[in-house]
Amino acid sequence: MSHAIAPSVTSQPLRFSRCLPLLSLLCVSISNYSMADGSVVDKIYHPYVDALEQELEFRAIHQDDQPEAEDNLQLYRFGYGRAFGDSWFGEVYLIGKKSDETGFQLEAYELEAKWQITEQGEYWADWGLLMELEKESHENIWEFSTGILVEKEWGQWSGTANLVVTQEWGSDIKDEIESSAGLQMRYRLSRWLEPALEFYTGQDTRAIGPALMGNIKTGIRKSLHWETGIIFGIDEDSPNMTLRGLIEYEF
Amino acid sequence: MMVLGLGLVLFGHYSVAGTPVIEIEIKDHLFFPATIEIPANTKVKLLVINRDLTAEEFESYELNREKVISGNRKAVIFIGPLPPGEYPFFGEFYPKTAQGKVVVIDQ
Repeated sequence: MSHAIAPSVTSQPLRFSRCLPLLSLLCVSISNYSMADGSVVDKIYHPYVDALEQELEFRAIHQDDQPEAEDNLQLYRFGYGRAFGDSWFGEVYLIGKKSDETGFQLEAYELEAKWQITEQGEYWADWGLLMELEKESHENIWEFSTGILVEKEWGQWSGTANLVVTQEWGSDIKDEIESSAGLQMRYRLSRWLEPALEFYTGQDTRAIGPALMGNIKTGIRKSLHWETGIIFGIDEDSPNMTLRGLIEYEF
Repeated sequence: MMVLGLGLVLFGHYSVAGTPVIEIEIKDHLFFPATIEIPANTKVKLLVINRDLTAEEFESYELNREKVISGNRKAVIFIGPLPPGEYPFFGEFYPKTAQGKVVVIDQ
């Protein structure tokens, strides 16, 4: 039995040229605002969406002493995400916090959307856009972040940059716009183990350190993705050391 | 950042016109052809046509590509430029049957 092929090609990410004005404006705008405060060491996002994928995610960050911050600050994110079509991925998070001053408490809720703008390998680099809306659970503080995700492949090496602008507002915070960036250089050694070097910068943080990550297949269209890293501050304002870990069950 | 913004404008009009296109069909959870030969150091556009009713995912760690192709749909996958060698790929939904490889030939 023959099957006619539907005329529409599986919807590809939007053509790159259409997004140029927005991306260029965002890049230029980042240089005009103050750098983000708070912890900026986190996951590095890649500009790709795997259609039909769902995931459960757990992320943890522990940073030691940092001027103007709580000692031994720990942040936890529990998330559920799923793809919408070929180029959008949405995720909801509960964010928990613990430090020497406070016990574990629910800190915030977050909605996140990732848009794969270009097809992987089509252009000089691959591009995506990240949008996050966060609301503090006990205070009237809102955050909206927009980030450019860009990845470039050199053989078995992949370089990724996340350039993020965040608007904060609400009655419990002074309204401001901040920026932050995360860079990762990753060597695709094997599916199970990939070493990387990561750099993060924000208002109170400039930090660099090694990371390891990998994937473990657990069945057809089922896998565990893990990441861990030790990120060291490189100036007086930064935490001396931040540990980060992530585990995702993708199905 | 301003440099990066300018770079976006400069590089954004890079065209992929002229990229060689190779068609691959998925039928009965098999790839046809299962072996594809492409020239070294050349970007190639794979047009993957899924003639099965069920979805399949073209996956290759060696090519650094993952792409779901819904049943009775097509999808485009760009690979390369690559050095000479063999790069296996498989169908994530039916990995026992859907197997193939890209052979990159030095010309």
